[in-house]
Amino acid sequence: MNRRRFIRNTAIGIMGLPLLSNSYGNIAPSDKIRVAHIGLGNMGRNHLNWFSGFSDVETVALCDVDKVRLGEKYKLLQEIHPNVRADTYTDFRHILDRKDIDVITCATPDHWHALIAMMAFQSGKDVYGEKPLSYSVEEGQAMKKALEYNDSVFQLGTQIHAGDNYHRVAEIIQSGLLGKIHTVRLWKTGGSPGLGFPPTEIPPDTLDWELWLGPAPYEEYTPVRCHGSFRYFFDYSGGVFGDFWCHIADIVYMSLQPQGLYSIDTRGKRPDDGIADTPRWIEADFKFKDLDLYWTTTPPPVPGAEKMHIGAHFEGTDGSLTCDYNTKVIHMGNEILDDIAELPETLPRSPGHQRNFLDAVKSRVQPESNLAYVREMTLPMHLALISFRLKRKLQWNSLTEQFEGDSAANYLLSRVYRNPWSLPE
Amino acid sequence: MKNVVLASFIITLQLLSCSAQTDGAFTPLFNGKNLSNWTLGEEGGFEVIKGELFTSSFGKGDDLFTEKWYCNYVLRLEYMLSDVGNSGILIRCDPQSPWETGVEVQLLAPWTPWRDDLHCTGSIYGHVAVTKRPDETTGIWHKMEIRCDRNTIRVSVDDIVTTLANIDTVKTMGDKLLCGAIGLQVNHANTEGQYAKFRNIYIRDLDGEPEYVSVGFYEKETMLRSQAYDAAITLGAKMVEPLTIMMSGYSPVAKTGSRQVLFDIVARATAPQSEETYKNDVAIALKNSANSTSSEITRNYLKWLSGMIDYSPSN
Repeated sequence: MNRRRFIRNTAIGIMGLPLLSNSYGNIAPSDKIRVAHIGLGNMGRNHLNWFSGFSDVETVALCDVDKVRLGEKYKLLQEIHPNVRADTYTDFRHILDRKDIDVITCATPDHWHALIAMMAFQSGKDVYGEKPLSYSVEEGQAMKKALEYNDSVFQLGTQIHAGDNYHRVAEIIQSGLLGKIHTVRLWKTGGSPGLGFPPTEIPPDTLDWELWLGPAPYEEYTPVRCHGSFRYFFDYSGGVFGDFWCHIADIVYMSLQPQGLYSIDTRGKRPDDGIADTPRWIEADFKFKDLDLYWTTTPPPVPGAEKMHIGAHFEGTDGSLTCDYNTKVIHMGNEILDDIAELPETLPRSPGHQRNFLDAVKSRVQPESNLAYVREMTLPMHLALISFRLKRKLQWNSLTEQFEGDSAANYLLSRVYRNPWSLPE
Repeated sequence: MKNVVLASFIITLQLLSCSAQTDGAFTPLFNGKNLSNWTLGEEGGFEVIKGELFTSSFGKGDDLFTEKWYCNYVLRLEYMLSDVGNSGILIRCDPQSPWETGVEVQLLAPWTPWRDDLHCTGSIYGHVAVTKRPDETTGIWHKMEIRCDRNTIRVSVDDIVTTLANIDTVKTMGDKLLCGAIGLQVNHANTEGQYAKFRNIYIRDLDGEPEYVSVGFYEKETMLRSQAYDAAITLGAKMVEPLTIMMSGYSPVAKTGSRQVLFDIVARATAPQSEETYKNDVAIALKNSANSTSSEITRNYLKWLSGMIDYSPSN
């Protein structure tokens, strides 16, 4: 009986019982979910802190291509859990080879997200991943197939999703009290820094630069390409836009599940003061079957938005709602409200984003930010970045998931991996 | 004797060819027949007389502007002023507000009233004085050359440099455009019957020359770099080889710019409304450069870009 089987059987045994946060008390080591963390930067540290705090989790292994980071996080783990013994690796494949690991969390740079997750699915592991879901559209499609084929569980680390505010906003929007929502405006202030023009260097001995690059094109090392600012390079990521899209577009998908995206247009500019190339600013117009969705780098001219560095504004036929991660303001006629008291709670609340995932690992019921959901939610972000790079308006067929009449745009939906990496069959 | 005649004939030919500006890099801005390439204002002010461009307006008339905008160029022309003729060449200006956006290289008869070195012929009027006062004789033809080379402007009259401006050091020029139309100022002498006339107006557009544009990729100022990027995208295939060389070089600034502009060239080549020749030429240039470069990083990048042009979905 392999580990996965064991967990599933256990899950069946407790099915029907409410799975509540922190209700696990003393759990035999054999009943614990054995977790390994891959990618140990700031987000990886969060993963380590969060997951190691659950009584039904055993932290089994840590992995980073940077030995310095690996050592730091190992030390951190020992400080918070002196009795936990974890193995350390610089190559994640050693973790996937281990049959005694149930779950990996992945907080690598974006260009590794899909490949590590798919290889983990193949090796029978469930995955708590980081935003964005993938580097390319094709990777998202492949991840969905791999997840279904391997019967895996996946949660994207969009932890704002789990908060009460988003659940409440979704209830208000779905209640119809604001009428039909025809327009949503999203924004996030700030854009990619240029990062200057540093010369290339020999990578430090403690860093496996080849493995850090992995499927991305080979490039000479310079520190700003790597830790902390990799996301400002199209080789690895999609900049501030690609980073924050997942957080704030989430509330649109949670509330409205917009369908039938057919047109994407963008305006914007690259940084001109450095080697970074993701947008300094970007404005994107998305046309869905029943919804116009806009993204801007500056707050839109709607009440209250100017003070919010990130936000969403829903415009309905009977009112509007502006929200960010933790706040919301509702405008109905002349009334300004912070909630609609008489509207009942209809959506079940999350026990916490990581708890929700661990529960899913046991119950085999996909968690809230599951792969099918987040793939749909992150797709427009990828398409907008393609429009930004090609500097043209694009037409999209949401059924075939191809651009219409633009083969170059379709080319950018995928990227061939650098040897020896390839998309898992 | 025969040899002397032959020699003088050759010299004459050379002089002719020089004055007629048949240098391949220079193209005529004025065809000697009409105002094609130019936009005449509502109030007129310019006419073509005997192959020359003539302005003798008094009290009315508009400045004359090229239809096209130019950034970096060498402008050569000949001018003649009457006793108190007053005109000028407007450079890098938006015709909607030429004085706010651009500057004027002055053309002025010197004696009524007398003008100082900051306002005489050859000066960048009110901004940069001449360092050497040109021959201001009226009633004869003079040659003028204006070279707009990124942040320097150089003016020569009769083959002698009169004015050299580094616009970074001229505070009053700090907010001027780096690209714009070229204008001829309508004659606006205080006396009736005065004129200015022009002939042999030629331009060498430096932004059409890959070697010149390439140098812009190394500029420290972002404005100048972005100007070079735009010029390179317009040039397309001709820039692929120089960009490939820069991408494999040592300057992080030029590496970054060349990599991004190669992408932009391919983006433009693959646009549905792109010209077929632009696309085909870029496709060929990419393949040639991929074969010739010794840098594997660059070769892989060029191959990836080639793929974008060649791509057609298999399903």
